[in-house]
Amino acid sequence: MDPIVDVSDLKKTFEPDIRAVDGISFHVERGEIFGFLGPNGAGKSTTIKILTTLVRPTSGTARVDGIDVMKNPAAVRRVIGYAAQEVGVDDELTGRENLRLSCRLYHMPSGQIDDRVKELLKTVDLGEAADRRAGTYSGGMRKRLDLAAALIHRPKLLFLDEPTTGLDPQNRRALWDYMKSLNEEGTTIFLTTQYMEEADRLADRLSIIDLGTIVAEGNPAALKADIGADVVEIAFKEDGHRDLQARARGVLEGLAGVTGVRDYEDGLAVYARGGSALVPHIVRALDGAGAEISRLTLAGPSLDDVFIKHTGHKMRVEEVRPPSRTIYGRRRRRTR
Amino acid sequence: MSGENVLFESYVVFGRWIRKTLRNPPFLFFSLVQPIVWFVLFTQAFQRIADIPGFQQMTGTDSYLTYFSAAVIIQTVIASSMQSGMGMVQDMESGFLDKLRVAPIHRSSILTGKVASDGFRILLQTVVILILGAALGVTIASGIPGLLLLLFISAAFGMAWAGISMFIALATRNSEATLMISLITTFPLLFLSTAVMPKSFLPDWVQTVATYNPLSYVADAFHTLVISGVDWSVLGSALLVILAVGTVTYAGATVLFRRTVSS
Repeated sequence: MDPIVDVSDLKKTFEPDIRAVDGISFHVERGEIFGFLGPNGAGKSTTIKILTTLVRPTSGTARVDGIDVMKNPAAVRRVIGYAAQEVGVDDELTGRENLRLSCRLYHMPSGQIDDRVKELLKTVDLGEAADRRAGTYSGGMRKRLDLAAALIHRPKLLFLDEPTTGLDPQNRRALWDYMKSLNEEGTTIFLTTQYMEEADRLADRLSIIDLGTIVAEGNPAALKADIGADVVEIAFKEDGHRDLQARARGVLEGLAGVTGVRDYEDGLAVYARGGSALVPHIVRALDGAGAEISRLTLAGPSLDDVFIKHTGHKMRVEEVRPPSRTIYGRRRRRTR
Repeated sequence: MSGENVLFESYVVFGRWIRKTLRNPPFLFFSLVQPIVWFVLFTQAFQRIADIPGFQQMTGTDSYLTYFSAAVIIQTVIASSMQSGMGMVQDMESGFLDKLRVAPIHRSSILTGKVASDGFRILLQTVVILILGAALGVTIASGIPGLLLLLFISAAFGMAWAGISMFIALATRNSEATLMISLITTFPLLFLSTAVMPKSFLPDWVQTVATYNPLSYVADAFHTLVISGVDWSVLGSALLVILAVGTVTYAGATVLFRRTVSS
């Protein structure tokens, strides 16, 4: 079957010269949950806005369900559902009124509206709060209402832009469950996230995006397996000492079984097959090199490691956005 | 997609705004308290203007209250229409505009539905002022047809004037700037028109400004309808002026709106 999203060499440059998306290509298969993982400012939202017809790309092509988003945006809009990062909920209307409004905007015959709204309120557990103004909702409730609004017309393809950012673990897990059951019912989901755990749990396949380019692609298990090793993270007592770090690195790279050594925060990350057996050797080797260890952790590879491996830096999750006036107002409401 | 759809979609957008408006306490304040304040304070303070020789000849009434009712309507319409763009900015800031842009609707209905709701809001506010005026003793000389004409002109003028606020809103994308700039640029026009004072009572330079001030034509239309009766030459020029203002403001606002929604 043809992919439901097909993107080729997509670029978006904002004036004066910010390359938000710098020549990315990827596709999303029908029926899967596809994750777009990356830090703030990586180009996730820009990509999703191009695919949802909100932003025109500078160059490249993007097709959704076989339709070119530039040539026929109106047809694309009928196929997709979109829940933005900003949560487009009208605070002065109740939850029910918000959904009724969405039904009308999607041209649902009026006879079906009441039933559909009731059904959706139940799906996202907002039945009891349905007749309260959305302005009184918590961040999690707002997200759920927004998700329900995106589902009105039973879209084949659902775009969720950082659906769980700013939510507490309980609400996050609830949203994960909704997404999974939606997907099981046949909805393809395109999800952006800056949470490794979220991508790991939900995505059938994912692309890792950093600074506007895709640095890795595949299913989470394969990406992790690709690291081919356990990860030993080491911090040194004299931290940040360059000579010492270089010396330690030299020693570690010479050890049998070590597949790679990378800078990691102020220490080093050592990738090694059979890491646990190797730990004593690492300790001894570093001892011999005169590098005192302050902390050593051993872990199976995580998506964190995948990210570090492909970008050379750790992904920073930023909960607080740059303080722009309008975004501040939004955040305050969302986190209430 | 057909023309019928645009109408339906505009109606849906319209309904949303009306619901929001009626739920909004500041709206009730603006529509009730402010006209009362204007009616009572101004007409008390300036009551004696009607005693100035020539007032009655010139205006056709011996009541400043009656004359001033046109100014109260215009003032309320200006204040109300200046809020028009604010709603659009709020939608941009909250992300609701993006929700509308992703929906399978004609994007033009986002603007037409909003403007129609501004017109309807202004219509309601005008009705409130007329009821207030009637309670204070203002009678409408032109009767029921005149009353309907007055409501029509008020709503049409409000929608045309709302285009200024919409233009500023789409240009600045900032709600405070929208309100401040709109009020500062349009409010003084009220006092440089014939709404508050008969033309010949005004200083020479103000008379000159008043001649070219669109508000004077709207005020004259209201005065005619309230004080004397239906005079189509006065009403005709008011409608032409409103049409001209609306054409200019929406030509600008539509260009900016297209840019905003299409990106």
